[in-house]
Amino acid sequence: MRRRTAVLALGSATALLLTGCSTMSPDASGTVTLNMVESLTNPTRTALLKDLIADFEQRNPKVKVNLVSPPTEQADQKLQQMLQSGSGVDVLEVRDITVGPWSNNGWLYDMKKDLDGWKGWEAMTENAVNASKDAKGGTYFVPYGFYGLSLFYRTDLIEKAGFDKPPATWAELLEQAKAVHDPSARRYGYAFRGGANANSNATAAIEAYLADDVDPANGFKLKDGRTIFAAPEAEDAIENYLKLFKQASPKSSVSWGYPEMVEAFSNGSTAFLLQDPEVIATVSESKSISKDQWGTAPLVSGPGGKTVQPLATAGWGVAKGSDHKAEAVKLVQFLSQGEASTSFTKKNSLVPILKSATSDPFYKSGPWASYVTMTEQPDKYLVVTQPRGVSWWAEWQQKADADVQKLVLGKTSPKELLAGWDAFWTEKWQQEQ
Amino acid sequence: MPVTSTTPSKTAAPAEGAASRKGGLPRGGRRKREFTTRRGLAIVAYMAPAALFVAVFTYYPMVAGGQMAFRNWKLSDLTDTSWVGLRNFADVFADPAWGTVLGNTAVWVVGSIVPQLVIGFALALWLRRRFVLRGLYQALIFFPWAISGFLIGILFRWMFNSEFGVVNDLLQKVGLIDEPIAWLADPDTAMVAVLVANVWYGVTFFAIMILAALQSIPDELYEAAALDGAGKARTLFRITIPYIRTTLALTVLLRVIWIFNFPDLIFGMTGGGPNDETHIVTTWMIKITQQGDYGRASALGLLVVAALLVFAVFFLMATREKKGARP
Repeated sequence: MRRRTAVLALGSATALLLTGCSTMSPDASGTVTLNMVESLTNPTRTALLKDLIADFEQRNPKVKVNLVSPPTEQADQKLQQMLQSGSGVDVLEVRDITVGPWSNNGWLYDMKKDLDGWKGWEAMTENAVNASKDAKGGTYFVPYGFYGLSLFYRTDLIEKAGFDKPPATWAELLEQAKAVHDPSARRYGYAFRGGANANSNATAAIEAYLADDVDPANGFKLKDGRTIFAAPEAEDAIENYLKLFKQASPKSSVSWGYPEMVEAFSNGSTAFLLQDPEVIATVSESKSISKDQWGTAPLVSGPGGKTVQPLATAGWGVAKGSDHKAEAVKLVQFLSQGEASTSFTKKNSLVPILKSATSDPFYKSGPWASYVTMTEQPDKYLVVTQPRGVSWWAEWQQKADADVQKLVLGKTSPKELLAGWDAFWTEKWQQEQ
Repeated sequence: MPVTSTTPSKTAAPAEGAASRKGGLPRGGRRKREFTTRRGLAIVAYMAPAALFVAVFTYYPMVAGGQMAFRNWKLSDLTDTSWVGLRNFADVFADPAWGTVLGNTAVWVVGSIVPQLVIGFALALWLRRRFVLRGLYQALIFFPWAISGFLIGILFRWMFNSEFGVVNDLLQKVGLIDEPIAWLADPDTAMVAVLVANVWYGVTFFAIMILAALQSIPDELYEAAALDGAGKARTLFRITIPYIRTTLALTVLLRVIWIFNFPDLIFGMTGGGPNDETHIVTTWMIKITQQGDYGRASALGLLVVAALLVFAVFFLMATREKKGARP
């Protein structure tokens, strides 16, 4: 009896060791199991993905997909560990901010040859096709959709303040937000982003002021090769942006991130919010403001009447360590075209990757219309690739977020902030060369 | 401590054990088994799962993480992970924020532990008395300890929100403030807010530990003290505190280490901001990790381990009971 227990104990130790080393290999019937790992996980999205996967499995009876959904906050770190170990992942969610370092470290498979001549490319918008290509022409992921900024605004509040339409420029935004702002009545003009990811809206303002001068291949570079932070217009943009905080935003927005901004708008206290389309779903469910009290307008522009769409994206890629690349690429193709793609972007409130979306009634009405307006007017809403894929992006975000807080707390000036950002990017580009 | 040879015990010599096996045991004694290779192997087999688990999931990551501290280990580029000696450590010390981070850590540990100890002690004294539904009260008071620190951070972040939070609302309603305080927007008030949250969270642990120790004090001691005319304060300082001194010392030691290593709450509430002014050493380590510099973060991790080891040794030496000193 005791001997048997000892053998059992030793056996379980061995099993523990072996489970860590095993890989998914085709079984006797030739069925391949793919491990798919998502990153921007949420329960609704996971359920949707499972439906799409079930559809894929039905069409491909010899392929099974095992979906792994780590919590969002740790997902990219978990993925890094899995990729570093070289096994356990076949298909994965790759974001514009992770594609650079991960492909650089040799963890992602270049799908360029596999996707050569694929029909799916023709159905995609130009933005989507461009986003899939890295600087050296490789295809490390196929985007599933875009997160783009638009202006959420309160129709009733601006009307009461004497305006008949939403602001079209950053200066008008300041003017209208100031007019609405009345902290004593707990009514605020603008939901300022001072906490996590504060850099994104600040750079969006700078790019709008420079618009035509920005290099379409790199949103932080001017056509003359300098950084956008070196241009005098950048200072005007930041001055205006700082006024937006001082004269039209709640004091505590120094530390506001995504949840506070969205709460401020959907609880009815704040008139303006710059956010991604996924917020449409949250605001629609608000009990404090009804559907006729709010709308969305295209992203505000600079003094020249133009702006740059700071699109963020994510998509599906294949791990270099995968033993089943052919099947993995097939799954990526399936998710990136036709019904699967449309359903994924609609149910996740994403700017779609398919051209057919512009004629879809879903995107033509209500809060979605502003996104279609922006897509249909690429001369006014310029499409520029943001340098989010560079290996130092995480470092930049941390630095720039802290700098925006310094600015609004009065511990640095717009000039100093811009000089610091200019020096940072100039140095990084020099190092890269 | 010497073992008396007349009592059969686990520590008896093997020869005696072997003899007992043949000739039978004294009544009520325990049989001592001979150590054989087979038994040795069985012991190894029993220990193997736990040992393997600890080796794979604790020691391996520790060693792997430790060696990163001496290498250029940046996630943005893992094609060059060469050895860099002590450069990562030098970078930690050269960081302009290092002074603030260290200062904040001291404020965080001392500002959390003192109120936690005092309030926890008072709670334990109160809970020791018998009253109706004492069990329910105890359960309710210990409840926060069961919630994740990060979640508590997020809850308190909303409570301290200047415009929509309950803290300002209550303070205004009772007339303590005229206009809302932007708690998390100012580095000083943000530190106060995280300390309040941590005191609320940690009080229960002290209460649990101290209550358990208090229950071990014999009632006769208090009765004797009362007969001798000792007042409440005298009883507290002459009987209660000296009797539970060891528990107090160990609890403080544990809590200092845990609070030092407790980034969850600050991370959930302020993320180290505003302007990086509420970072403590461990949230700073997370920030560096998020930047992708695992080398520097590991160096900082090793420094934390070293500092806490030194602290633990000194603390244990300073609070070690002298023989016979205990009442």
